[in-house]
Amino acid sequence: MKMGKGKTVVSAAFLSKTYQTSDIKVEVLKDVNLKIEKGEFAVICGASGSGKTTLLNIIGGIDKPTRGEIIVFGEELSLKDEDFLSDYRCNNIGFVFQAYNLVSTLTVAENVAFPMEWTRKPADNIRKRVEELMETVGLEHRADHFPFQLSGGEQQRVAFARALANDPPLLLVDEPTGNLDTKTSLKVIQMLQKLKHDGKTVIVATHDERILALAEQKLLLEDGRLVSLE
Amino acid sequence: MSVTSFLVNDLLRRKLQTTLTVLGLTLCVASTVFLLLFGDRVGVGISLMVEGRMTAGFSSIFSPFIVFLAFLIFIVGVVIISFMVFVMMSQRVKDIGLMKAAGCPNNLVFGYFMTELLIVTSAGCFLGAIFGIVADNASISLFQSMGFQISQKPPNLWIVVMIFVLFFILALASGTKPVLEAAKIEPAKAFSPTHHLGLAKEPGFRVVSNSGLTFRIAMRNLSRRASVTIRIVACLSIVFLLVTVAVAGGIIANQTTRSWVEKALGKDIVLIAHRDICSRYKLLQSKFYEAKESPQFNYTEGRYLVPDEILNQLGAMHGLSIETRLFIETQIEEAPGFILGRESGSTTYVGDHRKGFSLIIGVEPGKVFGQWFMEGEFLNESNGLDAVIGDTEAQKMFSMPLNQGIRLHNSTLDIIGVCVDPINNGNITYVPLKTLQNITGTSKPNVVMVKIDTSVNRTYVLNQIKTKIGSLNSEFEVFELNEVLNKDLGFLGYIWSAIMFLPLFSLAAASLCLIGYVMLTITEQRQEFGILRAVGAKPRTVVEIVSEQIFMVLLSSYAAGVVFGIIITLLILIPEPVITEYTVFEIAGWLVIALAATFILSLYPALGFARKPVLDMMAQA
Repeated sequence: MKMGKGKTVVSAAFLSKTYQTSDIKVEVLKDVNLKIEKGEFAVICGASGSGKTTLLNIIGGIDKPTRGEIIVFGEELSLKDEDFLSDYRCNNIGFVFQAYNLVSTLTVAENVAFPMEWTRKPADNIRKRVEELMETVGLEHRADHFPFQLSGGEQQRVAFARALANDPPLLLVDEPTGNLDTKTSLKVIQMLQKLKHDGKTVIVATHDERILALAEQKLLLEDGRLVSLE
Repeated sequence: MSVTSFLVNDLLRRKLQTTLTVLGLTLCVASTVFLLLFGDRVGVGISLMVEGRMTAGFSSIFSPFIVFLAFLIFIVGVVIISFMVFVMMSQRVKDIGLMKAAGCPNNLVFGYFMTELLIVTSAGCFLGAIFGIVADNASISLFQSMGFQISQKPPNLWIVVMIFVLFFILALASGTKPVLEAAKIEPAKAFSPTHHLGLAKEPGFRVVSNSGLTFRIAMRNLSRRASVTIRIVACLSIVFLLVTVAVAGGIIANQTTRSWVEKALGKDIVLIAHRDICSRYKLLQSKFYEAKESPQFNYTEGRYLVPDEILNQLGAMHGLSIETRLFIETQIEEAPGFILGRESGSTTYVGDHRKGFSLIIGVEPGKVFGQWFMEGEFLNESNGLDAVIGDTEAQKMFSMPLNQGIRLHNSTLDIIGVCVDPINNGNITYVPLKTLQNITGTSKPNVVMVKIDTSVNRTYVLNQIKTKIGSLNSEFEVFELNEVLNKDLGFLGYIWSAIMFLPLFSLAAASLCLIGYVMLTITEQRQEFGILRAVGAKPRTVVEIVSEQIFMVLLSSYAAGVVFGIIITLLILIPEPVITEYTVFEIAGWLVIALAATFILSLYPALGFARKPVLDMMAQA
């Protein structure tokens, strides 16, 4: 089920996340307040361990806050069950992970196709969409390869193609250039520019100044607290 | 931290894995110990007929069955232990890498994990031996509560010690290889999931592209982890072979042996005889399931012989078939026979002059109600100098019975058949009634057997018989043989049930093994499951993938195990099996239940894992 009718896509209020082991308590996010509008290109930056990935995970519905409110497309995610969140992730979120996270048993084409299979789209539509996305990321010739046969940059592009498969209204991108060389990074930045140009709502967690330059909203996470750079 | 506390902590940290390995080993040892102690106790199998129960014919089915099951249980035990240790070590590869990266030498790593193996093996074997003895004692109580006398001698501890030592050595031997391999692994490889999870390995085959996504992932995972898949399939195939032999064989053998007893005794037969003869008859029948001494008894005393008026009155009744018999117990002697060499034409004498006591039953050959499972043929009316002997007598006293004779008083009769008969536990000799009357100088029978036609009202006719017999001679009784028949059949049923119960141990051990496999497969695929969940797969998708993997593994092992199990049962273990349509459905039902139970049990780790938070799944194991 597609969401995203309202103007505000993401809204967080007093969002906190604490990890607790037996005797150690680490507060990763502290009272984070945030609002991202539809079509906005937002960048979250901050030092390693500042909580960028945790924030993206919470927005993406793969983690839950310890306290506070996280509303995405009008739904309070922390109150939802796993089945709702699965549907939410499948139809509304495109997540590009820092470590690419491709499924090693599936070919490149299958990796791009599988989020569409959850939505029970007709096989023909899936095939056409995969071809289109493979062309977009320039990997048509790699469709039948397995992830371990690709370079890091190629895997990153497959991850982008997979994230866009269901044409989600919100794209979350975690450190897209963190593991790439300069040349490959440029290609990824070009892809992000295109997404911005297409009017997608994009939230990127990064250190990369070149991506920061694309941002309409710049946010900095420092010791778990969010500060606006504007 | 001391070495001991490291080992204990390491085992405790993996509670489920350690418990599974110990429990798997315990079940294997317990089932073998119980099987051998039980076989020793009921007088079949390893210590064949130790206490004089079960005829030789029945033992010829029970013995190979128990020996074969024991052999299979033993093999299953070894395979399961080897697999469990393999799984245990596979999950420790990363730890081993860490230890080695920190400078721990190979021999120390090997020593650590061998000591762990030693702890696990000792615990499993010890608990198995204890549970085996407990199960054996429980079986005695169970049989006694059902009215059967089972030997209460203390368990043969040598059997227990032998099984303990054998399993202990085998478990250590089969566990050493995976420990050694794991200890030798290079740290870099141990850390790298690409290496130890086989991530850089292209799937062995491509499944058709339009097959379901979950099926595709499941199949590729199976083929990518070929070594562990082959191990689990081999292990489960042997388990299903064991289950099939025990279940199918147990059901078929039970029906076959039941039909032997039913046919030999006859169904719905009424025995009319003096009350002492009736008691004696019950005693002779009970020797099949209870070892009992039978005091001297004079069968031909005048008061025991059936008066003519009883025979006349019964003969006058409508709807009855009547057979008269003369029972005596006397000494018999083996008469040597000879065989002719086919090519040489020379004569070879077989047999000796062995003597023993036998129950001699004089029957009217054309009228007998019984139909025996036999070698050779039964008596006919034309030849009065023939004899048919029981299977136990044939085994104990004759070398080649069908080529020999039997001396009874001063007459020598030719043995023309050997039959399986539970009465007097197979120590019997059937001879023509007239011959026996001539030999003993007795003119009358001492037993009348009556079969009531199905066309008449059985209860009414039975009451009529009782009234008439009571009025003619109050010392004569009407006794329904179904009572002893049911006792015999009940005994056989309980014995087979106990034997069929054994694969439950192995099935439980196999389920633990499968759970271990599922845990390994989940550990290895957890990150991928996490990715699938992060990209929108529901928890049930993870369960679907794991179920399909388990199902493929189970189905391939099931097919192999069941096919070979049926072949072994029908071609090797049971001569002339009795199989009905109902038998086929019963066997199929039990085997499907076994498959379903194993499948459902093995899903347990997947169900728990599927509900884990996505981030926990995505975290490296």
